[in-house]
Amino acid sequence: MKALESKKGEQLQVEAAQTDPARFAELYENNFDRVYAYIARRVRSREEAEDLTADVFREALAGLSRFEWRGLPFASWLLKIAANLLSDRWRQAVRRQEVGTDELDQIGVNEKVEQQALLWQLVETLPADQQRVIRLRFVDQKSLRETAIELGRSEGAVKQLQLRALENLRERIGRNHV
Amino acid sequence: MSSISLADQLEDALTIMIAEPNSAPPKVDLPIGDLLKIATELLVLPDPRFKAALKANLLGHDLAVPISRGNRPWVENWGGPIVDMPTAGILPTLVGTGDGGYPVQRSNFAISLALHVAMIMLIVAGLGIGKGTRLAPHTQSVLLSELVAPVLPAAPDRSGGGGGGGDDDKMAASRGAAPRFAREQISPPAIVVRNEHPNLAAEPTLVGPPSLPPLSQVGNPFASILLPSNGTGIGGGIGSGSGGGVGSGSGPGFGPGQGGGTGGGTYRVGGGVSAPKAIYAPDPEYSDEARRAKYQGSVLLWLIVGADGRPRDIRVARSLGMGLDEKAIEAVRLWRFEPSLLDGRPVAVQVNVEVSFQLY
Repeated sequence: MKALESKKGEQLQVEAAQTDPARFAELYENNFDRVYAYIARRVRSREEAEDLTADVFREALAGLSRFEWRGLPFASWLLKIAANLLSDRWRQAVRRQEVGTDELDQIGVNEKVEQQALLWQLVETLPADQQRVIRLRFVDQKSLRETAIELGRSEGAVKQLQLRALENLRERIGRNHV
Repeated sequence: MSSISLADQLEDALTIMIAEPNSAPPKVDLPIGDLLKIATELLVLPDPRFKAALKANLLGHDLAVPISRGNRPWVENWGGPIVDMPTAGILPTLVGTGDGGYPVQRSNFAISLALHVAMIMLIVAGLGIGKGTRLAPHTQSVLLSELVAPVLPAAPDRSGGGGGGGDDDKMAASRGAAPRFAREQISPPAIVVRNEHPNLAAEPTLVGPPSLPPLSQVGNPFASILLPSNGTGIGGGIGSGSGGGVGSGSGPGFGPGQGGGTGGGTYRVGGGVSAPKAIYAPDPEYSDEARRAKYQGSVLLWLIVGADGRPRDIRVARSLGMGLDEKAIEAVRLWRFEPSLLDGRPVAVQVNVEVSFQLY
């Protein structure tokens, strides 16, 4: 029942965005992590993931008027666009061997993508200092020293902070049965 | 294991993971093993600045940010997202960073676009006005069957006449003109006179209205033979018919009919012959030459509507010129008729069609 309500809500969001592109924001927020996770698992670098994610949402927004609701999650359509873009990119780069054909076929929202997207959303539920250390270490990939300087803490304190952040995430993941 | 040693171990592992993200996860104690799994997933954690910047860009809140693939200004200054804009090089002052010292001025582009659109609309409107004042060609075609044959009162008998003759010669009748018409025929016409010394000489005539023009040389006007012959008919006269006339009919007249006078061939409307009805009558086109010269008028065509309802033998009875005669013929040739009827039987008739060409 909840799933049905969720689908109905998403359908309404799509219809709203088709009428008013400003309403695309809701669809973007709900699906960004999924799309990014799907792409990030299949490319080598953060830059590539960002480029392709931007392309996916740009194409989606441009082609939103052509989207027809057929009961599938909106994310499926986004991931199909992502798969096509990845395919094009691999074709251009002649790097097909990096990703198996079966992965290309897995366009639907799969469990791994969902787990990863949920993990990223859980990061946002962490206390601010823990969020910050996670981002400095993993997103900006700063060293322990750089992070310590940035946070104005000792290196030891940063080590403890990142340990608590990861333990918190583990606990939250457990609560969400991911 | 204390939290300090756990934190140290985690940091050591993270340092390796971050430095070599594609290498195998370092071997660690079990308590931090699942934390490293989470850390592995976090290595591709999306940059929240990228997420926010992309959203702003998609929703049009951040259009002025310089954008090009590979350029990630938000990493340093929380600027704009990556969005490929291949037109940046083409329209640098609209979507790019500006052209040289000229900054991005979208309002200028909007004004320019509006002016161009207005100009185009004015031009189109101007053409429309010109078109409206141009004289449009109009054509109309009217079937005029009464021109060639005044409407006659319906009669129970077939109208027309004709005659025929000959003296059983082996050759067809010779070519020549039919003799004059008279109320009565005393002597039938003959090309080869069999009795050169008759007891009572009389002028050979055909029976018909005396008002019909006299003909100078005796013979059958439709014949092609020049050698003298009265024709293969019987009963005197000239031709292949009978009865002392000229032609293939019977009687003392001229033509393929019977009973005197002239006749045969196609019928004319009236006297039991109904007028043909045009059932498909496309109007002709105006010729370019006439349109340019604003030339107007009407063409009168003469034609035969066959028993099959098709026009044939179309001729110009009154010419207009400037290519309009040809246009009229071209169109009328396509006409189709419900044929004229005589006693319920379709017959060929002569009709006129007047085609009007007008500009207004």
